[in-house]
Amino acid sequence: MQAEAEVWSTALANRFLAGPLDAFWSALGVAHDPAHPWENWLSMEILVVAIIIAFFAFLRSRLSAENPSQLQLAFEGLYTFVAGQVNDAIDHGSKYVPFIGTLFIFILLMNLIGIIPGFESPTQSPSVPAGLAVAVFVYYNYMGFRSHGIGRYLIHFAGPVWWLAPIMLPIEIVSHIARPLSLTIRLFANMFAGEKITMIFLSLTFLIAPAVFMGLHVFVALLQAFIFMLLASIYVGGAVAHEEQ
Amino acid sequence: MKRKLIYAGATLMALASPVLAQPAGGASGGTDWHLPFAYLAVGIASGLCGLGQGKAVASSCEAMARNPGAAAGIRFALILGLALIESLGLYALFVTYIAK
Repeated sequence: MQAEAEVWSTALANRFLAGPLDAFWSALGVAHDPAHPWENWLSMEILVVAIIIAFFAFLRSRLSAENPSQLQLAFEGLYTFVAGQVNDAIDHGSKYVPFIGTLFIFILLMNLIGIIPGFESPTQSPSVPAGLAVAVFVYYNYMGFRSHGIGRYLIHFAGPVWWLAPIMLPIEIVSHIARPLSLTIRLFANMFAGEKITMIFLSLTFLIAPAVFMGLHVFVALLQAFIFMLLASIYVGGAVAHEEQ
Repeated sequence: MKRKLIYAGATLMALASPVLAQPAGGASGGTDWHLPFAYLAVGIASGLCGLGQGKAVASSCEAMARNPGAAAGIRFALILGLALIESLGLYALFVTYIAK
């Protein structure tokens, strides 16, 4: 894959903040170009975080119980949607709604921001979905540990009966490792392929065909954010489920 | 029907024999087969995903026609199923990027 041109935010960051990130990457031992340590996905991801924080700070200041504004009603609808999904998948699931709701809004905005000219979706680069998938993996295992205790949670990997354990254990371990992998590839490949197809059609013709594929890309962006959130809630639900003995 | 499919498949494979007449370019140890096989993998994966998604859409259409009241739940299951099957085709596309 050839190197992408730098987005304006990356160019700005490389001009002013190259030193600190260069030191950070060197400290972690990550291979990088010392003159251009900032990559598109990193600067765009931080930009998306800044936009989300600024927007929700603004929304928070406008919240009112007696006289809700239209913005508040719209986001109450969004919250109801996410909370409905989480409570469907997890019993007593209200304490998992913040993480999974954040995941949904974050991924949704990251996917959609690539449509705007001059911005690039952070999720087009494999690093960002990988980070999100690792976060989900750590989160659901941590919630499983907290819910059952470390020993009992690991015992669940052995399956329902003890004599199935030699077969169940490798299967369970492989399926658990496949989860972050599939989350990563699903999100990354959908976003990357959508962008590439739009670009290819844009190089062939203009106006109708690229617009159709860009519309498909928008739909896929929404859908993939939803699927990521849904799968995350299903994994957390599976991890904290208490079967009634 | 099955015999026709077998004949069609065999004909396609026989028609593909000119690919063996490539000049020995690419890697010094012979032709580089990574990319052609990756393209073939994407084709097969996309075809089979098309079949799977077609079956999902067909059965969900039929279910919605039989039980219009449950259409919301069926539509949700349809979208979920389509997205998960789509991701299987995309895994093969991802393999193309690794093969390069």
